[in-house]
Amino acid sequence: MSKLSELDGVELSIPVQADLVVLARLTAATVASRAGFAVEEIEDLRLAVEELCLSLVPSSSQGRLHLSYRWRGDTIEISCSLEAAEGMAPGSAAAAARDSPLAEGEMAAPAADLSLRILDALVDDHGRDVAQGRARAWLRKRVSSTV
Amino acid sequence: MEQSFDVSVQERDGLPVVFVEGEIDVATAPPLRERLQEQVAAGHATVVVDLTAVSFLDSTALGVLVGALKRSRQAGGSLPLVINEPRILKVFEITGLTEVFPIHPTLDEAVEQSR
Repeated sequence: MSKLSELDGVELSIPVQADLVVLARLTAATVASRAGFAVEEIEDLRLAVEELCLSLVPSSSQGRLHLSYRWRGDTIEISCSLEAAEGMAPGSAAAAARDSPLAEGEMAAPAADLSLRILDALVDDHGRDVAQGRARAWLRKRVSSTV
Repeated sequence: MEQSFDVSVQERDGLPVVFVEGEIDVATAPPLRERLQEQVAAGHATVVVDLTAVSFLDSTALGVLVGALKRSRQAGGSLPLVINEPRILKVFEITGLTEVFPIHPTLDEAVEQSR
């Protein structure tokens, strides 16, 4: 397989559906591999992307996740935005983003906290914002970064 | 989309052992939670969870295990984990959960120290 050039990028759009989140991490692994990441870094990125998606997925499970995978210099940047289902205001999408699909009772707070700890440990930078009316979460990871 | 995942329960020296195989994520964590809840509901305060055949787990999986640990403790028991894969152990380390769960490298050790 050829390596990715800096101009390359990959886009993925999936319905908000628990059993499709695997596609986000499969794509991350493929892009990271093509970008020259080591096996351990690829595994880190797979988990980080999973957490990125979970941080946005509303408990109502409606809408679409749009993922963008970009490679520049020694850094891969992945962003994930939530296109809320029709009738769901952007504000409610952002609020819903604080829940995970498993946010039932005792699971909600621990999972969200654990998700943040995982992202803190595995990537160089990550954050959340609202872009074009959509809740968005992003991460950056440098190749051969020390975490 | 079909994912590689299986969860089964067997008894070892009088203790229930939940064996998990494959990837535990947001799609596959619910059946794991159900199996664990069933064990505590059946009166087993301590349940061993064997994660040696797990290749991936995320925060929802951790949340399920934390919830099960809470229930086990409330019943006077514990939730020992069997982990021998560095990649899986790393997830527990970075989240600080190695300080919360009893973690053993082998099933024999987990059972021996949990009876």
